[in-house]
Amino acid sequence: MQIETPPAQTEVSEIELVKRCQRGEAKAFDELVTRYRTRIFGMIYNMVHNEQDAWDLAQDSFLKAWKSIGRFRGKSSFYTWIYRIVMNVTIDHMRKKQIKGGGAEFDDRIQLKEIEPAAKTAPKADELPFERMERGELRQKIDNAIAQLTPEHRAVILMKETEDMQYHEIAEALGCSIGTVMSRLFYARKRLQNLLKDVYENV
Amino acid sequence: MKTFEEKFTAWVDGELTGKELVEFEASLPDRAAAEAEKREMQKLGAFLKQELAAQPFANEEFFSHQIREEIGRDQTAQDRHGTRSTWWTVPRLAWVGATAIALFVLFSVMFVRENAPESQSPYLTQILNARVDPVENPNATIAMFESQKNGDERVTVLWTEGLKSLPAEFAAK
Repeated sequence: MQIETPPAQTEVSEIELVKRCQRGEAKAFDELVTRYRTRIFGMIYNMVHNEQDAWDLAQDSFLKAWKSIGRFRGKSSFYTWIYRIVMNVTIDHMRKKQIKGGGAEFDDRIQLKEIEPAAKTAPKADELPFERMERGELRQKIDNAIAQLTPEHRAVILMKETEDMQYHEIAEALGCSIGTVMSRLFYARKRLQNLLKDVYENV
Repeated sequence: MKTFEEKFTAWVDGELTGKELVEFEASLPDRAAAEAEKREMQKLGAFLKQELAAQPFANEEFFSHQIREEIGRDQTAQDRHGTRSTWWTVPRLAWVGATAIALFVLFSVMFVRENAPESQSPYLTQILNARVDPVENPNATIAMFESQKNGDERVTVLWTEGLKSLPAEFAAK
């Protein structure tokens, strides 16, 4: 597995890469994809709990970022900027799917059956990278608990706890105020505490 | 003004400092319970970080490859579109514009001609200029109708009533 460089250490070259992307250099964008693909895929996966959807949403996010990179002004880090795209794409997908899916939203087995084997943007279902991975009981419980949160609450808790993002970065990524982030974090923690108390107490 | 939830979150994350921290801790009705809650939330955070942080990502290169391909297709489409638009903007646009103007002028002229009133016939002029003598023909009326039949064919009808005789100027010449 490729080790990604933390954004803080690569800030200068990241800016340079972004400038090259803005001049239309696809190779520079490829470098940015390489740096952030694992984190972004992981974040989306934790949100949607479906490998195929996470793959497609991550691809969609990167392509949207490429198309709109000309509008990136460098006021925030590239990572925070792309996170906003990722969150918009993911939350939008979750809302649409909740309406259409009627409660079957996070069932991987159902999703894998529905995947078109010759789909353009994804590998065949039986060749999915995560399909062979055994998901333990613990992970399943966490996923189930997170699945009971709203998309916005999921986003804040994952960005805070797994990505170590600051309040202002989360606020920027979600397009809301810092106060809203803190408030959502409070309720998301409370809910997860109730749902996972037995689990994390015994680990 | 921060709400209790906002302050509590900041307190759990160690973001409250100075006067704000002192005030918040002083405002807690049950400090021990709040401290326990704080530890629980911190434990939950550490647990989530440990369990969710490391996500293996197989097929990374295939992922990038798909993005590269998509961007390549996008750029090719843009290049093709760019070439076409240049060709459209310079010579073709000028020709299309000139042709459109020429057609507009042509049709305008044809339309104006079609709707232009025909010159008045000499008979009609005579009728219009005719006057009835009120002394000699007090009840006489002269009316004139004009109708159009079969497109271009025009018929003018002169209706006279109460005339003793047709005025001399009505005689066709």
